[in-house]
Amino acid sequence: MTDYSYFPGCSLASSAMEYDASFRLVSEVFGIGLDELEDWTCCGASPAPHHWGGELGILLPARNLHIAGRSHPAVVAPCAGCYNRLKYAQYELRRNQQLRERVAQVLREPVRYETEVVNLIEMFNREIDPAALAARAQGRLEEISLATYYGCVLTRPAEIVNFDDPNDPVMMEPLLRAAGATITHFPFKSECCGSYMGLAKKEIVFRASRQIIETALESGADAIVTVCPLCHQNLDLRQRQINFAWDTDFELPVLYFSQVIGLALGASPEELGIDSHAVSADKLLVKIKKTANR
Amino acid sequence: MSGVKIIGLLCNWCSYAGADMAGTARMKQPAALRVVRLPCTGRVNPLLVLKAFQEGADGVLVSGCHPGDCHYNEGNYYARRRLELLAAMLPALGIEPERFRYTWVSASEGARWTEVVEEFTGRVEALGPRDGGAA
Amino acid sequence: MRIGVFVCQCGTNIAATVATRRVVEAALSMRDVFHGESIQYTCSDPGQRAIIDAIQQKNLTRVVLAACSPRMHETTFRRAIAQAGMNPFMLEMVNIREQCSWIHSDIDTATEKAIDLVRKGVARVRRQTPLHAGSVPVTRRALVIGGGVAGIQAALDIADAGVPVTLVEKSPTLGGNMARLDKTFPTLDCSSCILTPRMVEVKQHENIDLMVSSEIENVRGYIGNFEVDIRRKATCVIEEKCTGCMICEQKCPSRAPDDFNAGVGESKAISVAFPQAVPLVAALRKEYCRLFLKGRCSVCKKVCPAGAIDYEQEDRFVTERFGAIVAATGFEQFDWKKAYPSFGGGLYPDVITSLEYERMLSASGPTGGHIRRPSDGAEPKHIVFISCVGSRDESVGRPACCGVGCMYQAKQAILTKEHIPDSQSYVFYLDVRAGGKGYEEFVRRATREFGTIYVRGRVGKVYPRNGKLICMGTDTLAGHQVEVEADLVVLAAGLNAAGAAAGLARKLNISYDMYGFFSEGHPKLKPVETNTGGVFLAGACQGPKDIPASVAQAGAAAAKVVSLLSRAELETSPMVAEVNQMKCTGCFKCREVCPYGAIEEQELRGGRRVAHVIGSLCQGCGLCNVACPPAVIPLKGYTDNQLIAEVVEVLREPEPASSAGASAKAVEVAE
Repeated sequence: MTDYSYFPGCSLASSAMEYDASFRLVSEVFGIGLDELEDWTCCGASPAPHHWGGELGILLPARNLHIAGRSHPAVVAPCAGCYNRLKYAQYELRRNQQLRERVAQVLREPVRYETEVVNLIEMFNREIDPAALAARAQGRLEEISLATYYGCVLTRPAEIVNFDDPNDPVMMEPLLRAAGATITHFPFKSECCGSYMGLAKKEIVFRASRQIIETALESGADAIVTVCPLCHQNLDLRQRQINFAWDTDFELPVLYFSQVIGLALGASPEELGIDSHAVSADKLLVKIKKTANR
Repeated sequence: MSGVKIIGLLCNWCSYAGADMAGTARMKQPAALRVVRLPCTGRVNPLLVLKAFQEGADGVLVSGCHPGDCHYNEGNYYARRRLELLAAMLPALGIEPERFRYTWVSASEGARWTEVVEEFTGRVEALGPRDGGAA
Repeated sequence: MRIGVFVCQCGTNIAATVATRRVVEAALSMRDVFHGESIQYTCSDPGQRAIIDAIQQKNLTRVVLAACSPRMHETTFRRAIAQAGMNPFMLEMVNIREQCSWIHSDIDTATEKAIDLVRKGVARVRRQTPLHAGSVPVTRRALVIGGGVAGIQAALDIADAGVPVTLVEKSPTLGGNMARLDKTFPTLDCSSCILTPRMVEVKQHENIDLMVSSEIENVRGYIGNFEVDIRRKATCVIEEKCTGCMICEQKCPSRAPDDFNAGVGESKAISVAFPQAVPLVAALRKEYCRLFLKGRCSVCKKVCPAGAIDYEQEDRFVTERFGAIVAATGFEQFDWKKAYPSFGGGLYPDVITSLEYERMLSASGPTGGHIRRPSDGAEPKHIVFISCVGSRDESVGRPACCGVGCMYQAKQAILTKEHIPDSQSYVFYLDVRAGGKGYEEFVRRATREFGTIYVRGRVGKVYPRNGKLICMGTDTLAGHQVEVEADLVVLAAGLNAAGAAAGLARKLNISYDMYGFFSEGHPKLKPVETNTGGVFLAGACQGPKDIPASVAQAGAAAAKVVSLLSRAELETSPMVAEVNQMKCTGCFKCREVCPYGAIEEQELRGGRRVAHVIGSLCQGCGLCNVACPPAVIPLKGYTDNQLIAEVVEVLREPEPASSAGASAKAVEVAE
């Protein structure tokens, strides 16, 4: 198995610690080494590209990319936002000589920017053999239906991130199917959840996320699977607010991709941090087949 | 003439018409290229390409019909075989292979023609004028 | 040798970027140039007159004309210099418009380039020899490929002029896409009512030989003398015996998709395409037939009262000669399913194409003219029409407008209201393009009289909720998002060239664009011609078109064919290869590469065997010229000497213009 540089980003170190925990757990089971970047910083997130002339939007991810270049040929960024920023910086650095010079000036050495940037789905698909997963999962998820939700920045802009079909992404499916789960037909898999509008204009999130939850329920899903901490926040943490705003009574758990794989491996909900979510996953958890231990 | 000189050998039925189309659409291009019109790229004698280099051309661009679309059914296939060999020979003659390109542009691809000219001119300009050519 | 150089200003088209006077001055310093002149419009009557006068007054023997592309006016000017008594081939056109003034902005650069090009032209014309055109007899018979409205019109027009026509149609009936339409915009004429009489006319016309279920296999030859192999596909039905009674179809136990009805409803393995089909004969599709799949059945043979079924039938090939060919292969609808997963990608049965909807509207269609949701057969009340699906959408690689969508959507919205008075139609549009006669008024009727709601914007997503289809889109005029609950969604899928078009283009040696549409000879002046002499275009195979435009183009193509075939003989290009038999070594490498079989063996006195080019077969590609080891098959008009001179001269650093030389020759610049 390959080792990867690991860029957790702020979410996985704070509000999405369960994402970090489940990601490390699954990686360990499959012998994937994770080497956390030394002295990593913010990826730039949403604000940096839009302030101070946008320069920080490149400088911040460029620095992280540069650090990643010290060790392994690839860096994994599980957060969809971090992944997007790193890819964006790489794209710009590849085509802009002036920018490379500017970054070198800030770093005080020539920038390393050719480290391959992968997201969590990409890494799992590459390192986990579906047959091996199926053997370990022993059909634990056979009674579970999942709506795979990719969100907006994981696949877009397509020419920059170059990952899956932006309108109809499918890359989560092979492993989830191998784990026994059913994938529902979910037309909202790459719609926006409202993103950071949760701070400035909550109504937008309430509207966008409501449609996502509603359509996922209509598709017959027991849970939504995501890889983006911000989407998770809007769909899970704000689900009660959404219910309050629209007078609905949704109760749809939202799980990280790595948590679902963890469940398939037989890890406990506590180990995977599923108990830390706002929406209870109890109804889903009882459907998990009690089979032999991992 | 300042800068580099490039000779274009173009098939009358496709690339020449494509170049006309680019002109009709007023697509601006670098001016280093001088086009010689031919009935078919199959008419391109590799010696003509070498002659151009010998006479001081800094680049030679041959462009014909897409494979399968030759006005004369198969002329471009002959061109492809002949020019592939020629391209392989150029380094032995002291000519950077980047100075030679053969490609396909159809009569409806004015925009593509413009791209080809820009790309090739840029490539030849980056290499600069050939020394020891005509002299 | 006395060369005259004429530099066209083309109004300001050339003169704005090329200093034509400087070009003339430079030309006068070139060897053998005795006359130089800049003319405002060389192609105009006074312009041509000026050239003729100069030739006669200055005894010019060769002409270099720096103007537009030779592809544009070469013939015009050859004719002009012939009028002055010169051999028409002693002309060299130098392209300083399309390939110089129009693509550069800097005057000095463009002028310098123009001078280089003129020097190249002078070098070339100095090595030109007089050429004389030959002639070949013309086959007075035309081939029309495609039996839609354009092919029908072209065939009838040609046949009415007394020229025999063969019409080849790949499906078992005439009619094409137009026969599938219910009504036509903007008059709401019944489509089949105006088309079927024309189909019958074709069948009955004494000058038309109709071949249905047939395809073009191979095309050889050239203008005036094409030789075409036609594949007559096995239909297991003897066309002459079949009476079209349809008993076979009624009794056939094998279900099959209904091609004519765009997949709405079902058909049988043996069937007549539709009740008004011409010719009214059945055809069997082996891929669905129980006999061919499972080895037992033969029901149709047992029930056929005419004894027209023949399971042993195989594809036959016929070869015919034609003087001219009209391609009228039409269009097919863009396959939206892969490109638009956001509309369900084909997963939702109630998202259909406009052509499928058209069949539903038709009284003779599979639903008998009743609009029914495919999912549950219910009558829809809310119908959403989405425009520009696979057209005007760069994200799916289709930036072009389909040209007809706006109009047929308005038509379908009107017809929907007529069929279901308590229904409400919505049209999501980008712009309403209603440029034709009576079109804009028609769209107004759709909104004012029939209450169609037009929403300007794209639909981003269609998804099911509670048995309805939710269409999420943007109203770009109001600036907010909209959602419409629909019972049925109809997509105005764009038009592509017919799937087999690219293959046919290769057989015909004509060019086509990235969507498979055939390229016309010139966008303005040769709209129905192609770059291959004798091959003409009609209808949507050249680009998306509505019915009136297709019919008009078909008529134009027919006129071209008739005019071409009214001649007994055609001039052939003299720019052909010619063997210098004194030097020929008889290796016959030339014969191996010639695509036209134009090279034959000849025995000279003394028994030496040498190559000989049959002038009337040679198309002037020059392949033999390059293949010849001793280089003794010059291609006239493109000899090695000429090409080398062009290359050498264009690369030569020009000497500073000798003012003495220039002043010795008269400079005339027309202001």
